[in-house]
Amino acid sequence: MENMICEDNVILRIHQLHKHFGSLQVLKGIDLEVHKGEVVAVIGPSGSGKSTMLRCLNRLEIIDGGSIEIKGEFLASENEVGRATYASTAKARELLSCMGMVFQQFNLFPHMTVLENLLEAPIQVKKRNKDEILPEVEELLRKVGLFDKRDAYPSRLSGGQQQRVAIARALAMKPDIMLFDEPTSALDPELTGEVLKTMRALALEHMTMVVVTHEMAFAREAANRVIFMADGNIIEQGAPQPFFAAPKEERTIAFLKNML
Amino acid sequence: MEKLMETVLLMLEGTQITLEIFFITLIMALPLGLMASLARISQLKPLSLLMEFYIWIMRGTPLMLQLLFVYFALPMIGIRLPDIAAALLSFTLNYAAYFAEIFRAGIQSIDRGQYEAAKTLGMTYGQTMRRIVIPQMIRRVLPPISNETINLVKDTSLVYILAMNDLLRVARTIVQREFDMTPFMVAAVFYLAMTFVLTWIFKKLEAHYGKYDM
Ligand SMILES: Nc1ncnc2c1ncn2[C@@H]1O[C@H](COP(=O)(O)OP(=O)(O)OP(=O)(O)O)[C@@H](O)[C@H]1O
Ligand SMILES: [Mg+2]
Repeated sequence: MENMICEDNVILRIHQLHKHFGSLQVLKGIDLEVHKGEVVAVIGPSGSGKSTMLRCLNRLEIIDGGSIEIKGEFLASENEVGRATYASTAKARELLSCMGMVFQQFNLFPHMTVLENLLEAPIQVKKRNKDEILPEVEELLRKVGLFDKRDAYPSRLSGGQQQRVAIARALAMKPDIMLFDEPTSALDPELTGEVLKTMRALALEHMTMVVVTHEMAFAREAANRVIFMADGNIIEQGAPQPFFAAPKEERTIAFLKNML
Repeated sequence: MEKLMETVLLMLEGTQITLEIFFITLIMALPLGLMASLARISQLKPLSLLMEFYIWIMRGTPLMLQLLFVYFALPMIGIRLPDIAAALLSFTLNYAAYFAEIFRAGIQSIDRGQYEAAKTLGMTYGQTMRRIVIPQMIRRVLPPISNETINLVKDTSLVYILAMNDLLRVARTIVQREFDMTPFMVAAVFYLAMTFVLTWIFKKLEAHYGKYDM
């Protein structure tokens, strides 16, 4: 029975995910389940395939082998010989709309104001009309503390403010899962705090999050689970307390020693 | 003084032809160039190669030759166009190719992150181009487009070889008739005035589109 509940709670499941670029094998068979409301922090050395894994999840990269299941439906499934085949365009679009993404480089639309950045996708993609969604979107801006910047262009904002707009922009599509790829790595150290605070607030609201990060404090305090990746594999994972207190694998220990 | 007025009035008629060619070419070549640039960067290899070929021909041969070809060679295979149409056809095809290359460079200068952000928000390729990429591209290509547009003002004078009474030809006719150089001066002033206005318009456009990247 307990198993059943757990099963139902899996919102994202990847199985034997393989990805290569040319002759470089970047992901060598990743297995991962993410439960609803869970915050998963992914850490690991540069080049270990963390970004590639996130990018595979939302189809910015096409996978070679394995499967990706979102809310119980296959975005990509594995055929008899282990090759991945994708769902139909319409199905894929529907499944991908469950995921929001936040990039290291923010990637706001520079020719649109903050408000326009948030309105763009709901209006264009979901065909909502502006008056209808304006209150929701303004609420999001209040939540990330940037309501007073709604008419500013991104170039007028600090990096931390831009990243908070990017988070709000992704949230405006009402995703079930938020993916973050080193959201604070492009920021000056004094600006990381405000972004992490926004993310912690999201975690408290039980948003399902997969966060690739170098912020060990965030991983320790805000995540439910920490995953250590190296060389295209998940080497070790666990709840933050035991994970940081007593890592088991050689490589995890070496990596954590370097980080601290 | 009276004679100068008369010259100017005569030449205004020539200016009309010049302006007509200029505006119609611009209005047709800009959208055509945009479509050609999109075809040029398309994943459809044959389409992209076809565009590359078209652009190569148009940029690789003199506009004068293209004009003469449309004007003299097409009638030989039974296609006879009115003078103005022949001129407009050559100018449009030629300028669309130049604009296409400018647009292509502009589109390719847009950061990959913009496409990725749009994609993760669920936008289609069409929406991404129309709403995200092309508006940013326009801002970036304004200076080279402005250059080409000013070139077009001056290139209109090539229709002179088609015996069309454009500004330059009218000027020459008067000069030959009256042995007076003033019409050339007047023509120069007309061209300068047009490029002055264009420069001003593009400056305004750049300011308008540039309000976001201070
Ligand atoms: N588009 C690509 N083409 C070729 N190789 C790529 C591409 N993207 C990533 N790689 C390579 O794949 C490997 C994994 O890259 P990835 O960006 O996933 O690492 P990462 O764990 O996110 O590292 P970092 O901490 O530096 O961001 C690297 O060796 C990288 O050079
Ligand atoms: Mg990375």
